[in-house]
Amino acid sequence: MKTTTLVFPYPVALDQSLALETAVPAAYAEAPMGPKIIARQVNFFYGEHQALYENDLEVHRHKVTAIIGPSGCGKSTHIRIYNRIYELYGEQRAFGEVLLDGENILDPAMDLMELRRRVGMIFQKPTPFPMSVFENVAFGLKLHYKLSKGEMADRVEEALSKAALWDEVKDILRQPGTALSGGQQQRLCIARALAVEPEVLLMDEPTSAIDPIATAKIEELIHSLKSRYTIVIVTHNMQQAGRVSDFTAFFYQGHIVEFGDTQKIFTNPANKKTEEYITGRFG
Amino acid sequence: MKPRPPTGRRIVNGVVSGLAAASALLGLLALAWIFLGVLSRGVGALNVDFFTRLPNPPGIPGGGVANAIIGTLAMTGLATLLAVPLGMMAGVFLSEFGQKSRLADHSRFAANVLMGMPSIIIGVFVYAILVLPRGKFSGYAGALSLGIIMLPVVARTAEDMLRLLPNTLREAGLALGAPTWKVTLTILFRAAKPGLLTGILLAVARVSGETAPLLFTALNSPYWESSLAGPTPNLTVTIFNFAMSPYPDWQQMAWGASLLITCGVLTLNLTARFFLGEKHS
Repeated sequence: MKTTTLVFPYPVALDQSLALETAVPAAYAEAPMGPKIIARQVNFFYGEHQALYENDLEVHRHKVTAIIGPSGCGKSTHIRIYNRIYELYGEQRAFGEVLLDGENILDPAMDLMELRRRVGMIFQKPTPFPMSVFENVAFGLKLHYKLSKGEMADRVEEALSKAALWDEVKDILRQPGTALSGGQQQRLCIARALAVEPEVLLMDEPTSAIDPIATAKIEELIHSLKSRYTIVIVTHNMQQAGRVSDFTAFFYQGHIVEFGDTQKIFTNPANKKTEEYITGRFG
Repeated sequence: MKPRPPTGRRIVNGVVSGLAAASALLGLLALAWIFLGVLSRGVGALNVDFFTRLPNPPGIPGGGVANAIIGTLAMTGLATLLAVPLGMMAGVFLSEFGQKSRLADHSRFAANVLMGMPSIIIGVFVYAILVLPRGKFSGYAGALSLGIIMLPVVARTAEDMLRLLPNTLREAGLALGAPTWKVTLTILFRAAKPGLLTGILLAVARVSGETAPLLFTALNSPYWESSLAGPTPNLTVTIFNFAMSPYPDWQQMAWGASLLITCGVLTLNLTARFFLGEKHS
């Protein structure tokens, strides 16, 4: 049961019969509350090897959650569960519960196409498809929507604008996506993901393969996207985690050692391991 | 400890590099010799008649192998139509769907065995299943045997070319919500296009010079054939017959046909290299 009166973030008259403007607007009343994603007791295996142990994590709505930790600690593995992309490899298995707005992602009955539309992913290396800039963005749109030519063009432009790429590519839409620079390719991938109107964006070290200026552009972009999407970003770069995220989870050897406000994790970590990692003593 | 002086290693290095270079040269030399031999003896046979007329009976100068050229093209074309779609699908199965499954393992093994099988055995096989029951040689049987030879080549190159693509490309497609078959057809095929085309061309080149499987299936014919339902003229068996004959006119024709086939295969190979080169640039 979703109770609209108690959890709503601003004071609302308990008596809904009062003046109209104090009542909860219907659209808000319908919107789900609480964390966007809740992972409970997630264990993950690569064949016989266990990579994640009893991960519990809450990803907050319209916030950026950073996942940090040394190489091989399970950061990427964890977010690859959120869109079940790990299933491409038969020998990888996940156990536990991952709730996306209350629906269990790991439920075998989950519609994978729809899940992946709702949960987009950006990879470490830019992955433009071997087709034109326009077709790259249109690819996902064609999968999920029936659009006329005009609508398609509008939606492609909208997505490229959201990804702050439109001005740079509007005259070269017919050229291959692979001809763009690395930073542009990565923003093309972001546009491609945004085009299908996802709710969550998973970013797996999205700036580790591109130069500092392009990185700054993408970080700016993450800021501007926050209000509309829920973002989870895996990063090796602790300054980046500090700059872009609201919450931070520290992973170590498959365990979530600490999770909390980014501010707090970086200034006053509760766990000794976290402190050692963020002060650069290992990792 | 003083490092060992490098003289000994230098000598060994020089000897081994020299041997390797000499072997490569020997291979090239053999190829050049064959090609020049065929060119010098065959070029005299090439004229308009060669490409437009039927073979003449022995003793009557002139004539050509037009019927055999058309027969070879038709059978190779039909074989390609049979083997390419099937082989491509098999390659997609091996690389994208079956991967490490038992069925994929067995199919891959079968394809490897089939690739190494002497082509004459495939000819005999088609003879047994198609020629004997129907009681006559036919171009269809010829095309089928060529197609069977092409099939594993196309399947394995398709698998290898798709395997070469980075998994990130598959993941990116799947992450947008595309099903595997769509990712394969719209993303992977485009990315692997040069390699796939090369595989097809090399498979065509491989069968266009085959003689043994045709001896049992298409046989040969000195006439114009309007369909592939009966014995079908073709270049390779024509070469075989004419070269063995005691008539200088026919022997000359065999040289010309050899030159034609050599040039055709060479062109296919060069085109394949061109496609691959395009990929690397």
